[in-house]
Amino acid sequence: MFAIYRREVQSYFYTSAAYVFLGVFLTLGSIFFGVTNLASRSGNLLALIAELSYLWMLLSPILTMRLIAGERQRNTDQMLLTSPCSLTGMVMGKYLAACTVLLLAVVSSMMYACVVAVYGKLYIGETAVGYLGLVLHGCAFIALDLFVSCFAKSQMTAVVLGFGVNLLVWMADVLASAVMIEAISQALDFISLYRRFSPFVRGQLSLSSVMFYLLFITVMIFLSVRALDARRWSEA
Amino acid sequence: MISFDHVSKRYGTLNALQDITFSVPKGQVLGLLGQNGAGKTTAMNILTGCLAPTSGSVSIGGKDVLLRPREAKRMIGYLPEAAPVYDEMTVRAYLRFACELKEVKKSAISGHVEAVAERTGLADVLDRKIGNLSKGYRQRAGVAQALCGTPEVIVLDEPTAGLDPRQNSEMRNLILSLAGEHTILFSSHILSEVQAVCSRVLILHHGKIICDRTLHDMQGKEHRLRAVIDSCDEKLLPALRQLHSVLRVEMEANPNAALTQVVLTVDDSGLAERELFTLLSALQMPLLRLAPVEDSLEDVFLRATMDETV
Repeated sequence: MFAIYRREVQSYFYTSAAYVFLGVFLTLGSIFFGVTNLASRSGNLLALIAELSYLWMLLSPILTMRLIAGERQRNTDQMLLTSPCSLTGMVMGKYLAACTVLLLAVVSSMMYACVVAVYGKLYIGETAVGYLGLVLHGCAFIALDLFVSCFAKSQMTAVVLGFGVNLLVWMADVLASAVMIEAISQALDFISLYRRFSPFVRGQLSLSSVMFYLLFITVMIFLSVRALDARRWSEA
Repeated sequence: MISFDHVSKRYGTLNALQDITFSVPKGQVLGLLGQNGAGKTTAMNILTGCLAPTSGSVSIGGKDVLLRPREAKRMIGYLPEAAPVYDEMTVRAYLRFACELKEVKKSAISGHVEAVAERTGLADVLDRKIGNLSKGYRQRAGVAQALCGTPEVIVLDEPTAGLDPRQNSEMRNLILSLAGEHTILFSSHILSEVQAVCSRVLILHHGKIICDRTLHDMQGKEHRLRAVIDSCDEKLLPALRQLHSVLRVEMEANPNAALTQVVLTVDDSGLAERELFTLLSALQMPLLRLAPVEDSLEDVFLRATMDETV
């Protein structure tokens, strides 16, 4: 697992994937910070964190497209599948590598907190809760898109599928209120990642939301392992 | 070392493998022959654990690939048809990664990488990016990763596909150098390649084994010679048929009507050439060309089915 984790992290930086991810995240993040905090002279970083959370929906597939679909496209999956490393170890190594790049983006975005701390008043507790939510939210999107990547044969398909699924997740709130059938409405409301994220941007540490994110990530990783294993039984 | 026990694999309605049973003893080089779609890659993917069989079982060194995958996979080095290389990595980093995957001890990795690179002719390009290497070197890198961890079984799926003649020859020599130390399963649809490196051949056709023999048995006690003789005298063919070592004479078309071209099926006494020269000399019919006839895959297929080994 650690060999795969290390290779994936290095590979993000050997190729343009990490630079594109970090570049777009920090560029858009800086624009949001300028508009939300600097222009309005506000020290409220939770509003900025709420805006940053939408970037995961757009950027997560950039990190995950290569993880499974990229290996399949390059035929390197056979090298991994014939090694003594378990499928769970392989998926975990890849997942943690993507999360590492995401964490790097979050840590880089803390420069906004530094600016607020220097020129205004920073509410450390609230901001820390907000950042925790941002990390959990991003890790959940990566787990979701990693699972989606298991069904794609090329990186491009993985990106398109990832965007599509992320959009559906984003719309779960809207759909929940629009659907007339109560059971479906409740199910959509339950799986809505954004509803689970909302306590964090109010500065509240919601244990139920933390548990939900951890459970969501675990289920997605489990499903990714099962999807890869199922391929052995059916693939032509 | 390798054992396939009544293995079948279905893809929907297609039977990719049908009740395959064979075993490979330690140190043997087995050539898996067959046309495209015969089931060679499927068999290899099942052996390496990439695919699961629909029925039957496969074991390596007594360890079932499905039930004890980790232990079985420790004994395998696999080169798929397309070398599984990462273009962005250097050869050294790639081989280090392969060693880590194969659970080679950390302290031994550097030395092991150097040794594998030396053996596969990659020592000069260890610090170059794989993406910048030629097809031949990429293929070598693929073989090198299969050798990492010194696996007992090496599975090579058409390792010479797409290589130029020189690279082809180098690859064959490399495989030959591995024979004996490792049990090798080698697939190809080119007979001459299999003849060059394998001691036993297994022919797959539509997912079934139609022939499983050593190369010597397969070639049998008969050899074929193609002769071009500067004569079209009608006495020639009866005279050729009278030779002791000649079992069969088949006429072939030749663009020059003044010449006779025949394929002689001869026994393994080693006297055929001498008898032929003596006869033609006595008849004063110059022999312009005499060469062994190389079996094509189709010939072997035909012979295998004619021998009722289906």
